[in-house]
Amino acid sequence: MTISEEFKAMHWLMDIVQNIDVGLLVLNREYEIEAWNGFMENHSGLMAERIKGKNLFEVFPEIDKKWFLEKAEPVFLLDNRAFTTWEQHTNLFHFKNYHPITGIVDHMYQNITISPLKSVRGVTDQISIIVYDVTTVAVSKLLLAEANQKLEKLAQFDSLSGLNNRRHWEELLESEFLRCKRSETSSSLLFIDIDDFKVINDNFGHSCGDSVIREVSNHIRSCQRETDHSGRYGGEEFAIILPDASVQQASNMAERLRKKIEQQLFEINGTQQRITISLGIAEFKSDFNNYVDWIDAADQALYKSKHSGKNRVTVKET
Amino acid sequence: MSTTELSEEYRDCFQEITNVAMGQAADKLARFLDVFIILPVPNVNMLEPSELAMALGAVNRSESVSAVCQGFIGSGIAGEAMLIFNDSTFQEIAQLIKADTDDSNKLELEILMDTANLLIGTFLTGLAEQLEVRFSLGQPSVLGRHVNIEDLIKINEHRWKQTLTIEINYKIEGSNISCDLLILFTDDSVNILKQKADYLLE
Repeated sequence: MTISEEFKAMHWLMDIVQNIDVGLLVLNREYEIEAWNGFMENHSGLMAERIKGKNLFEVFPEIDKKWFLEKAEPVFLLDNRAFTTWEQHTNLFHFKNYHPITGIVDHMYQNITISPLKSVRGVTDQISIIVYDVTTVAVSKLLLAEANQKLEKLAQFDSLSGLNNRRHWEELLESEFLRCKRSETSSSLLFIDIDDFKVINDNFGHSCGDSVIREVSNHIRSCQRETDHSGRYGGEEFAIILPDASVQQASNMAERLRKKIEQQLFEINGTQQRITISLGIAEFKSDFNNYVDWIDAADQALYKSKHSGKNRVTVKET
Repeated sequence: MSTTELSEEYRDCFQEITNVAMGQAADKLARFLDVFIILPVPNVNMLEPSELAMALGAVNRSESVSAVCQGFIGSGIAGEAMLIFNDSTFQEIAQLIKADTDDSNKLELEILMDTANLLIGTFLTGLAEQLEVRFSLGQPSVLGRHVNIEDLIKINEHRWKQTLTIEINYKIEGSNISCDLLILFTDDSVNILKQKADYLLE
Protein backbone atom coordinates (compact mmCIF):
# COMPACT_ATOMS: atom_id res chain seq x y z
CA MET A 1 0.00 0.00 0.00
CA THR A 2 1.28 3.43 -0.83
CA ILE A 3 1.20 6.19 1.72
CA SER A 4 -1.77 7.85 0.08
CA GLU A 5 -3.75 4.59 -0.01
CA GLU A 6 -2.99 4.04 3.63
CA PHE A 7 -4.06 7.58 4.34
CA LYS A 8 -7.30 7.03 2.42
CA ALA A 9 -8.06 3.83 4.34
CA MET A 10 -7.39 5.65 7.57
CA HIS A 11 -9.74 8.38 6.45
CA TRP A 12 -12.58 5.91 5.75
CA LEU A 13 -12.00 4.27 9.03
CA MET A 14 -12.18 7.54 10.90
CA ASP A 15 -15.30 8.44 8.98
CA ILE A 16 -16.98 5.18 10.00
CA VAL A 17 -15.97 5.55 13.63
CA GLN A 18 -17.30 9.10 13.62
CA ASN A 19 -20.64 8.21 12.03
CA ILE A 20 -21.42 4.76 13.37
CA ASP A 21 -24.58 4.71 15.43
CA VAL A 22 -23.03 3.51 18.66
CA GLY A 23 -21.22 5.66 21.17
CA LEU A 24 -17.42 5.43 21.22
CA LEU A 25 -15.09 7.12 23.63
CA VAL A 26 -11.57 6.62 24.91
CA LEU A 27 -10.47 7.42 28.45
CA ASN A 28 -6.96 7.57 29.89
CA ARG A 29 -5.82 6.41 33.32
CA GLU A 30 -7.10 9.65 34.89
CA TYR A 31 -10.48 9.18 33.24
CA GLU A 32 -9.92 12.10 30.92
CA ILE A 33 -11.70 11.94 27.60
CA GLU A 34 -9.33 11.35 24.68
CA ALA A 35 -11.78 10.40 21.94
CA TRP A 36 -15.47 11.16 21.46
CA ASN A 37 -17.36 10.13 18.34
CA GLY A 38 -20.36 11.62 16.53
CA PHE A 39 -22.93 9.56 18.44
CA MET A 40 -21.56 10.90 21.73
CA GLU A 41 -21.44 14.46 20.36
CA ASN A 42 -25.01 14.39 19.12
CA HIS A 43 -26.60 12.76 22.14
CA SER A 44 -24.69 14.79 24.72
CA GLY A 45 -24.70 18.05 22.79
CA LEU A 46 -20.98 18.41 23.58
CA MET A 47 -18.51 18.57 20.71
CA ALA A 48 -15.29 16.58 20.80
CA GLU A 49 -13.07 19.69 20.66
CA ARG A 50 -14.73 21.09 23.76
CA ILE A 51 -14.62 17.94 25.79
CA LYS A 52 -11.25 16.37 24.99
CA GLY A 53 -8.81 16.30 27.88
CA LYS A 54 -11.55 16.90 30.43
CA ASN A 55 -12.36 14.55 33.25
CA LEU A 56 -15.39 12.35 32.53
CA PHE A 57 -16.89 12.74 35.99
CA GLU A 58 -16.52 16.52 35.95
CA VAL A 59 -18.28 16.86 32.62
CA PHE A 60 -20.97 14.34 33.57
CA PRO A 61 -21.53 14.62 37.32
CA GLU A 62 -24.67 12.49 36.95
CA ILE A 63 -22.55 9.40 36.24
CA ASP A 64 -22.56 6.95 39.14
CA LYS A 65 -18.81 7.27 39.70
CA LYS A 66 -18.44 4.54 42.30
CA TRP A 67 -20.24 1.99 40.17
CA PHE A 68 -18.41 2.92 37.01
CA LEU A 69 -15.00 2.75 38.70
CA GLU A 70 -15.86 -0.71 40.02
CA LYS A 71 -16.34 -1.81 36.42
CA ALA A 72 -13.52 0.15 34.78
CA GLU A 73 -10.66 -0.33 37.28
CA PRO A 74 -10.47 -4.12 36.77
CA VAL A 75 -10.20 -3.45 33.03
CA PHE A 76 -7.02 -1.43 33.63
CA LEU A 77 -5.68 -3.78 36.29
CA LEU A 78 -6.55 -7.16 34.81
CA ASP A 79 -6.39 -6.22 31.14
CA ASN A 80 -9.79 -7.79 30.62
CA ARG A 81 -12.90 -6.54 28.88
CA ALA A 82 -15.98 -5.75 30.97
CA PHE A 83 -19.60 -5.71 29.90
CA THR A 84 -22.52 -4.15 31.69
CA THR A 85 -26.21 -4.39 30.84
CA TRP A 86 -29.14 -2.03 31.27
CA GLU A 87 -30.53 -4.50 33.78
CA GLN A 88 -27.69 -3.59 36.17
CA HIS A 89 -27.70 0.11 35.47
CA THR A 90 -30.22 1.74 33.15
CA ASN A 91 -27.52 3.80 31.50
CA LEU A 92 -24.07 5.29 31.95
CA PHE A 93 -24.82 8.54 30.12
CA HIS A 94 -28.23 10.03 30.83
CA PHE A 95 -29.14 10.52 27.20
CA LYS A 96 -32.65 11.06 25.89
CA ASN A 97 -34.56 8.34 24.08
CA TYR A 98 -33.74 8.22 20.35
CA HIS A 99 -37.51 8.21 19.76
CA PRO A 100 -38.56 11.34 21.61
CA ILE A 101 -42.02 11.42 20.00
CA THR A 102 -43.21 7.82 19.69
CA GLY A 103 -41.08 6.26 22.44
CA ILE A 104 -42.76 5.41 25.73
CA VAL A 105 -39.76 6.17 27.94
CA ASP A 106 -37.82 9.42 28.18
CA HIS A 107 -34.31 8.11 28.55
CA MET A 108 -32.02 5.77 26.68
CA TYR A 109 -31.25 2.29 28.01
CA GLN A 110 -27.60 1.38 27.42
CA ASN A 111 -25.36 -1.63 27.37
CA ILE A 112 -21.70 -0.79 27.86
CA THR A 113 -18.51 -2.53 26.80
CA ILE A 114 -15.25 -1.42 28.38
CA SER A 115 -12.11 -2.68 26.62
CA PRO A 116 -8.46 -2.27 27.54
CA LEU A 117 -6.29 -0.44 24.99
CA LYS A 118 -2.61 -1.25 24.99
CA SER A 119 -0.03 1.40 24.27
CA VAL A 120 2.93 0.72 21.97
CA ARG A 121 4.83 -0.29 25.10
CA GLY A 122 2.28 -3.00 25.79
CA VAL A 123 0.81 -1.29 28.84
CA THR A 124 -2.91 -0.80 29.27
CA ASP A 125 -3.08 2.94 29.80
CA GLN A 126 -6.37 3.68 28.06
CA ILE A 127 -9.78 2.12 27.89
CA SER A 128 -12.35 2.34 25.15
CA ILE A 129 -16.02 2.50 25.96
CA ILE A 130 -18.73 1.46 23.58
CA VAL A 131 -22.24 2.64 24.34
CA TYR A 132 -25.07 0.66 22.76
CA ASP A 133 -28.58 2.04 22.61
CA VAL A 134 -30.78 -0.89 23.67
CA THR A 135 -33.90 1.09 24.54
CA THR A 136 -36.19 -0.86 22.20
CA VAL A 137 -35.15 -4.24 23.57
CA ALA A 138 -35.21 -3.08 27.18
CA VAL A 139 -38.64 -1.50 26.90
CA SER A 140 -40.19 -4.53 25.24
CA LYS A 141 -38.63 -6.79 27.87
CA LEU A 142 -40.03 -4.60 30.64
CA LEU A 143 -43.46 -4.49 29.01
CA LEU A 144 -43.43 -8.26 28.63
CA ALA A 145 -42.60 -8.71 32.32
CA GLU A 146 -45.41 -6.32 33.21
CA ALA A 147 -47.87 -8.20 30.97
CA ASN A 148 -46.86 -11.51 32.51
CA GLN A 149 -47.45 -10.08 35.96
CA LYS A 150 -50.93 -8.94 34.92
CA LEU A 151 -51.66 -12.34 33.41
CA GLU A 152 -50.59 -14.03 36.59
CA LYS A 153 -52.97 -11.79 38.50
CA LEU A 154 -55.79 -12.48 36.06
CA ALA A 155 -55.19 -16.18 36.44
CA GLN A 156 -55.48 -15.95 40.22
CA PHE A 157 -58.27 -13.50 40.90
CA ASP A 158 -61.96 -13.41 40.19
CA SER A 159 -62.67 -10.21 38.26
CA LEU A 160 -66.08 -9.48 39.83
CA SER A 161 -65.27 -9.98 43.50
CA GLY A 162 -61.54 -9.29 43.44
CA LEU A 163 -61.09 -12.38 45.62
CA ASN A 164 -59.09 -15.45 44.64
CA ASN A 165 -60.81 -17.44 41.92
CA ARG A 166 -61.85 -20.99 42.66
CA ARG A 167 -58.92 -22.68 40.96
CA HIS A 168 -56.31 -20.62 42.77
CA TRP A 169 -58.21 -20.76 46.06
CA GLU A 170 -58.29 -24.56 45.89
CA GLU A 171 -54.52 -24.56 45.40
CA LEU A 172 -54.19 -22.46 48.54
CA LEU A 173 -56.50 -24.81 50.42
CA GLU A 174 -54.52 -27.82 49.30
CA SER A 175 -51.26 -26.37 50.59
CA GLU A 176 -52.96 -25.39 53.86
CA PHE A 177 -54.34 -28.94 54.09
CA LEU A 178 -50.84 -30.38 53.65
CA ARG A 179 -49.42 -27.94 56.18
CA CYS A 180 -52.04 -29.00 58.75
CA LYS A 181 -51.26 -32.65 58.11
CA ARG A 182 -47.59 -32.00 58.76
CA SER A 183 -47.78 -29.65 61.69
CA GLU A 184 -50.95 -30.97 63.34
CA THR A 185 -52.10 -27.43 63.95
CA SER A 186 -55.72 -26.49 63.87
CA SER A 187 -57.07 -24.42 61.00
CA SER A 188 -60.64 -23.73 60.00
CA LEU A 189 -62.54 -23.47 56.79
CA LEU A 190 -65.50 -21.13 56.40
CA PHE A 191 -68.13 -21.35 53.65
CA ILE A 192 -70.49 -18.45 52.97
CA ASP A 193 -73.59 -18.29 50.79
CA ILE A 194 -75.81 -15.26 50.10
CA ASP A 195 -79.40 -16.08 51.10
CA ASP A 196 -82.09 -15.92 48.42
CA PHE A 197 -79.67 -14.57 45.86
CA LYS A 198 -81.89 -15.85 43.07
CA VAL A 199 -84.65 -13.50 44.24
CA ILE A 200 -82.34 -10.49 43.92
CA ASN A 201 -81.32 -11.54 40.44
CA ASP A 202 -84.88 -12.25 39.35
CA ASN A 203 -86.39 -9.06 40.80
CA PHE A 204 -83.68 -6.54 40.06
CA GLY A 205 -81.56 -8.04 37.25
CA HIS A 206 -78.10 -9.50 37.10
CA SER A 207 -76.21 -6.20 37.30
CA CYS A 208 -77.79 -5.63 40.73
CA GLY A 209 -76.82 -9.19 41.68
CA ASP A 210 -73.26 -8.37 40.63
CA SER A 211 -73.10 -5.29 42.81
CA VAL A 212 -74.34 -7.32 45.81
CA ILE A 213 -71.54 -9.82 45.19
CA ARG A 214 -69.04 -6.98 45.05
CA GLU A 215 -70.27 -5.50 48.34
CA VAL A 216 -70.35 -8.82 50.16
CA SER A 217 -66.81 -9.46 48.89
CA ASN A 218 -65.68 -6.12 50.31
CA HIS A 219 -67.10 -7.09 53.70
CA ILE A 220 -65.32 -10.43 53.55
CA ARG A 221 -62.05 -8.68 52.80
CA SER A 222 -62.48 -6.22 55.65
CA CYS A 223 -63.34 -8.97 58.17
CA GLN A 224 -60.53 -11.37 57.34
CA ARG A 225 -57.04 -11.40 58.83
CA GLU A 226 -53.97 -10.70 56.72
CA THR A 227 -53.11 -14.40 56.65
CA ASP A 228 -56.58 -15.64 55.66
CA HIS A 229 -57.33 -16.65 52.08
CA SER A 230 -60.75 -15.80 50.75
CA GLY A 231 -62.10 -16.91 47.40
CA ARG A 232 -65.23 -16.89 45.29
CA TYR A 233 -66.15 -20.54 45.22
CA GLY A 234 -69.21 -20.40 42.99
CA GLY A 235 -71.92 -17.97 41.86
CA GLU A 236 -72.93 -16.53 45.25
CA GLU A 237 -70.78 -18.83 47.33
CA PHE A 238 -67.55 -17.76 49.03
CA ALA A 239 -64.99 -19.56 51.12
CA ILE A 240 -62.26 -18.46 53.54
CA ILE A 241 -59.28 -20.45 54.77
CA LEU A 242 -58.40 -19.42 58.33
CA PRO A 243 -54.93 -20.78 59.15
CA ASP A 244 -54.23 -21.45 62.83
CA ALA A 245 -57.79 -20.54 63.81
CA SER A 246 -59.81 -22.71 66.18
CA VAL A 247 -63.52 -23.32 65.66
CA GLN A 248 -64.20 -20.68 68.29
CA GLN A 249 -62.07 -18.04 66.56
CA ALA A 250 -63.63 -18.92 63.22
CA SER A 251 -67.14 -18.69 64.72
CA ASN A 252 -66.38 -15.24 66.12
CA MET A 253 -65.21 -14.03 62.75
CA ALA A 254 -68.20 -15.64 60.99
CA GLU A 255 -70.65 -14.09 63.42
CA ARG A 256 -69.04 -10.68 62.96
CA LEU A 257 -69.37 -10.97 59.20
CA ARG A 258 -72.98 -12.22 59.43
CA LYS A 259 -74.00 -9.26 61.62
CA LYS A 260 -72.25 -6.75 59.41
CA ILE A 261 -74.12 -7.94 56.32
CA GLU A 262 -77.40 -8.18 58.21
CA GLN A 263 -77.12 -4.57 59.38
CA GLN A 264 -76.02 -3.15 56.06
CA LEU A 265 -78.63 -1.53 53.81
CA PHE A 266 -77.90 -2.48 50.21
CA GLU A 267 -78.84 0.14 47.60
CA ILE A 268 -80.54 -1.76 44.82
CA ASN A 269 -82.23 0.08 41.95
CA GLY A 270 -82.86 3.08 44.18
CA THR A 271 -84.44 0.91 46.86
CA GLN A 272 -82.86 -0.17 50.12
CA GLN A 273 -82.74 -3.90 50.67
CA ARG A 274 -81.58 -6.12 53.48
CA ILE A 275 -79.47 -9.13 52.63
CA THR A 276 -78.39 -12.02 54.79
CA ILE A 277 -75.80 -14.76 54.52
CA SER A 278 -75.55 -18.33 55.79
CA LEU A 279 -72.26 -19.71 56.98
CA GLY A 280 -70.72 -23.12 57.68
CA ILE A 281 -67.48 -23.89 59.51
CA ALA A 282 -65.34 -27.02 59.58
CA GLU A 283 -62.14 -27.39 61.53
CA PHE A 284 -59.28 -29.43 60.07
CA LYS A 285 -59.39 -33.07 61.11
CA SER A 286 -56.45 -35.41 60.72
CA ASP A 287 -58.68 -38.15 59.32
CA PHE A 288 -59.53 -36.08 56.22
CA ASN A 289 -58.11 -37.93 53.23
CA ASN A 290 -57.71 -34.81 51.14
CA TYR A 291 -58.75 -31.18 51.03
CA VAL A 292 -62.02 -32.11 49.28
CA ASP A 293 -63.12 -33.89 52.47
CA TRP A 294 -62.56 -30.62 54.27
CA ILE A 295 -64.65 -28.71 51.72
CA ASP A 296 -67.42 -31.32 52.09
CA ALA A 297 -67.44 -30.91 55.86
CA ALA A 298 -67.75 -27.12 55.65
CA ASP A 299 -70.36 -27.46 52.93
CA GLN A 300 -72.46 -29.77 55.14
CA ALA A 301 -72.38 -27.18 57.92
CA LEU A 302 -73.46 -24.51 55.44
CA TYR A 303 -76.30 -26.78 54.25
CA LYS A 304 -77.47 -27.09 57.83
CA SER A 305 -77.53 -23.29 58.23
CA LYS A 306 -79.59 -23.01 55.06
CA HIS A 307 -82.10 -25.60 56.18
CA SER A 308 -82.55 -24.35 59.71
CA GLY A 309 -83.66 -20.86 58.75
CA LYS A 310 -80.69 -19.14 57.00
CA ASN A 311 -78.83 -16.06 58.32
CA ARG A 312 -76.86 -18.13 60.80
CA VAL A 313 -73.51 -19.81 61.48
CA THR A 314 -73.23 -23.59 61.88
CA VAL A 315 -70.16 -25.45 63.00
CA LYS A 316 -69.60 -28.94 61.64
CA GLU A 317 -69.84 -31.34 64.57
CA THR A 318 -66.91 -33.61 65.09
CA MET B 1 -14.62 -37.72 11.13
CA SER B 2 -17.68 -37.99 13.26
CA THR B 3 -18.27 -35.12 15.61
CA THR B 4 -19.99 -37.33 18.11
CA GLU B 5 -16.81 -39.09 19.14
CA LEU B 6 -13.90 -37.66 20.99
CA SER B 7 -10.77 -39.78 21.09
CA GLU B 8 -8.61 -39.91 24.21
CA GLU B 9 -5.94 -37.98 22.36
CA TYR B 10 -8.21 -35.06 21.55
CA ARG B 11 -9.79 -35.08 24.95
CA ASP B 12 -6.36 -34.85 26.60
CA CYS B 13 -5.37 -32.07 24.27
CA PHE B 14 -8.53 -30.04 24.92
CA GLN B 15 -8.13 -30.69 28.61
CA GLU B 16 -4.58 -29.36 28.52
CA ILE B 17 -5.68 -26.23 26.65
CA THR B 18 -8.46 -25.79 29.18
CA ASN B 19 -6.05 -26.17 32.10
CA VAL B 20 -3.96 -23.28 30.88
CA ALA B 21 -6.92 -21.01 30.10
CA MET B 22 -8.76 -21.71 33.31
CA GLY B 23 -5.61 -21.13 35.33
CA GLN B 24 -5.31 -17.69 33.83
CA ALA B 25 -8.97 -17.02 34.56
CA ALA B 26 -8.64 -18.23 38.14
CA ASP B 27 -5.59 -16.03 38.65
CA LYS B 28 -7.58 -12.93 37.72
CA LEU B 29 -10.53 -13.95 39.88
CA ALA B 30 -8.17 -14.55 42.79
CA ARG B 31 -6.62 -11.12 42.35
CA PHE B 32 -10.04 -9.49 42.00
CA LEU B 33 -11.49 -11.10 45.12
CA ASP B 34 -8.19 -11.48 46.99
CA VAL B 35 -8.79 -15.16 47.72
CA PHE B 36 -7.34 -18.51 46.79
CA ILE B 37 -9.13 -20.35 44.02
CA ILE B 38 -9.13 -24.13 44.08
CA LEU B 39 -8.48 -25.36 40.59
CA PRO B 40 -10.42 -28.43 39.60
CA VAL B 41 -9.85 -30.92 36.85
CA PRO B 42 -11.94 -29.70 33.94
CA ASN B 43 -14.39 -32.03 32.29
CA VAL B 44 -14.23 -32.23 28.52
CA ASN B 45 -17.01 -34.25 26.97
CA MET B 46 -19.50 -34.63 24.19
CA LEU B 47 -22.76 -34.13 26.03
CA GLU B 48 -26.44 -34.22 25.27
CA PRO B 49 -28.73 -31.61 26.81
CA SER B 50 -30.12 -34.17 29.22
CA GLU B 51 -26.62 -34.98 30.47
CA LEU B 52 -25.63 -31.39 30.89
CA ALA B 53 -27.60 -30.74 34.07
CA MET B 54 -26.10 -33.81 35.69
CA ALA B 55 -22.58 -32.83 34.74
CA LEU B 56 -22.68 -29.62 36.72
CA GLY B 57 -20.60 -29.86 39.85
CA ALA B 58 -21.49 -26.63 41.63
CA VAL B 59 -25.21 -27.00 41.66
CA ASN B 60 -27.53 -29.45 43.15
CA ARG B 61 -30.40 -30.22 40.82
CA SER B 62 -32.98 -29.17 43.35
CA GLU B 63 -31.45 -25.80 44.12
CA SER B 64 -32.24 -22.54 42.45
CA VAL B 65 -29.57 -20.99 40.27
CA SER B 66 -28.81 -17.86 38.29
CA ALA B 67 -26.83 -17.80 35.07
CA VAL B 68 -25.25 -15.50 32.53
CA CYS B 69 -24.28 -16.54 29.03
CA GLN B 70 -22.09 -14.91 26.44
CA GLY B 71 -21.67 -15.88 22.82
CA PHE B 72 -18.32 -16.02 21.06
CA ILE B 73 -17.32 -16.56 17.46
CA GLY B 74 -14.16 -16.41 15.38
CA SER B 75 -12.11 -18.41 12.87
CA GLY B 76 -14.91 -20.92 12.36
CA ILE B 77 -15.27 -21.67 16.04
CA ALA B 78 -18.45 -20.57 17.77
CA GLY B 79 -20.22 -21.27 20.98
CA GLU B 80 -21.48 -19.93 24.22
CA ALA B 81 -19.92 -19.55 27.62
CA MET B 82 -22.24 -19.94 30.55
CA LEU B 83 -21.59 -19.08 34.16
CA ILE B 84 -23.92 -20.70 36.66
CA PHE B 85 -24.19 -19.65 40.28
CA ASN B 86 -25.98 -21.39 43.05
CA ASP B 87 -28.27 -18.71 44.53
CA SER B 88 -27.22 -19.60 48.06
CA THR B 89 -23.62 -18.49 47.41
CA PHE B 90 -24.41 -14.84 46.65
CA GLN B 91 -24.46 -13.83 50.27
CA GLU B 92 -20.99 -15.20 50.91
CA ILE B 93 -19.62 -13.43 47.86
CA ALA B 94 -21.25 -10.19 48.98
CA GLN B 95 -19.38 -10.49 52.28
CA LEU B 96 -16.18 -11.26 50.41
CA ILE B 97 -16.33 -8.14 48.27
CA LYS B 98 -17.66 -6.12 51.23
CA ALA B 99 -20.69 -4.99 49.30
CA ASP B 100 -22.38 -2.05 50.93
CA THR B 101 -25.83 -2.23 49.44
CA ASP B 102 -28.95 -3.72 50.96
CA ASP B 103 -30.59 -4.25 47.62
CA SER B 104 -29.79 -7.94 47.30
CA ASN B 105 -31.51 -8.22 43.94
CA LYS B 106 -29.26 -5.58 42.41
CA LEU B 107 -26.20 -6.90 44.18
CA GLU B 108 -26.70 -10.44 42.89
CA LEU B 109 -26.88 -9.14 39.35
CA GLU B 110 -23.68 -7.13 39.80
CA ILE B 111 -21.86 -10.14 41.23
CA LEU B 112 -23.13 -12.34 38.45
CA MET B 113 -22.01 -9.92 35.74
CA ASP B 114 -18.65 -9.03 37.30
CA THR B 115 -17.69 -12.67 37.78
CA ALA B 116 -18.88 -13.52 34.29
CA ASN B 117 -16.82 -10.69 32.82
CA LEU B 118 -13.73 -11.98 34.58
CA LEU B 119 -14.04 -15.71 34.14
CA ILE B 120 -15.50 -15.83 30.66
CA GLY B 121 -13.35 -13.00 29.34
CA THR B 122 -10.04 -14.41 30.56
CA PHE B 123 -10.89 -17.99 29.78
CA LEU B 124 -11.75 -17.19 26.18
CA THR B 125 -8.67 -14.99 25.78
CA GLY B 126 -6.52 -17.86 27.05
CA LEU B 127 -8.26 -20.33 24.77
CA ALA B 128 -7.93 -18.06 21.73
CA GLU B 129 -4.23 -17.42 22.36
CA GLN B 130 -3.44 -21.12 22.42
CA LEU B 131 -5.49 -21.89 19.35
CA GLU B 132 -4.05 -18.80 17.64
CA VAL B 133 -7.44 -17.39 16.80
CA ARG B 134 -9.36 -14.29 17.79
CA PHE B 135 -12.89 -14.31 19.15
CA SER B 136 -15.57 -11.69 19.00
CA LEU B 137 -17.61 -11.63 22.18
CA GLY B 138 -21.26 -10.72 22.22
CA GLN B 139 -22.95 -8.76 24.97
CA PRO B 140 -23.55 -11.11 27.89
CA SER B 141 -27.15 -11.74 28.79
CA VAL B 142 -28.82 -13.00 31.91
CA LEU B 143 -30.14 -16.43 31.05
CA GLY B 144 -32.27 -16.83 34.12
CA ARG B 145 -32.44 -15.86 37.74
CA HIS B 146 -33.64 -18.00 40.60
CA VAL B 147 -34.60 -20.84 38.32
CA ASN B 148 -34.21 -24.58 38.36
CA ILE B 149 -31.08 -25.78 36.56
CA GLU B 150 -33.07 -28.07 34.30
CA ASP B 151 -35.41 -25.28 33.24
CA LEU B 152 -32.38 -23.19 32.44
CA ILE B 153 -30.92 -25.69 30.04
CA LYS B 154 -34.25 -26.79 28.65
CA ILE B 155 -34.70 -23.44 26.92
CA ASN B 156 -32.81 -24.44 23.82
CA GLU B 157 -32.91 -28.18 24.12
CA HIS B 158 -34.53 -28.79 20.77
CA ARG B 159 -31.88 -26.78 18.97
CA TRP B 160 -28.96 -29.11 19.61
CA LYS B 161 -28.41 -32.79 20.10
CA GLN B 162 -24.88 -33.11 21.29
CA THR B 163 -22.21 -30.59 21.93
CA LEU B 164 -18.59 -30.39 22.96
CA THR B 165 -18.72 -29.18 26.52
CA ILE B 166 -16.00 -27.96 28.81
CA GLU B 167 -17.12 -27.80 32.41
CA ILE B 168 -15.06 -26.11 35.08
CA ASN B 169 -16.12 -25.99 38.69
CA TYR B 170 -14.37 -23.10 40.43
CA LYS B 171 -14.26 -23.14 44.21
CA ILE B 172 -13.00 -20.53 46.60
CA GLU B 173 -10.80 -21.87 49.37
CA GLY B 174 -12.23 -21.69 52.87
CA SER B 175 -15.77 -20.97 51.74
CA ASN B 176 -18.78 -22.66 50.26
CA ILE B 177 -18.63 -20.49 47.17
CA SER B 178 -18.53 -22.41 43.97
CA CYS B 179 -19.66 -21.70 40.45
CA ASP B 180 -19.70 -23.54 37.18
CA LEU B 181 -18.21 -22.25 33.98
CA LEU B 182 -19.51 -24.08 30.95
CA ILE B 183 -18.12 -23.63 27.47
CA LEU B 184 -20.40 -25.10 24.84
CA PHE B 185 -19.23 -25.31 21.24
CA THR B 186 -21.43 -25.64 18.19
CA ASP B 187 -21.39 -28.89 16.22
CA ASP B 188 -19.46 -27.44 13.30
CA SER B 189 -16.79 -25.98 15.58
CA VAL B 190 -15.64 -29.39 16.74
CA ASN B 191 -13.87 -30.35 13.52
CA ILE B 192 -12.03 -27.04 13.40
CA LEU B 193 -11.03 -27.44 17.04
CA LYS B 194 -9.67 -30.88 16.18
CA GLN B 195 -7.68 -29.42 13.30
CA LYS B 196 -6.23 -26.81 15.63
CA ALA B 197 -5.43 -29.54 18.11
CA ASP B 198 -3.64 -31.50 15.38
CA TYR B 199 -1.12 -28.65 15.08
CA LEU B 200 -0.51 -28.76 18.80
CA LEU B 201 -0.22 -32.53 18.85
CA GLU B 202 2.35 -32.65 16.05
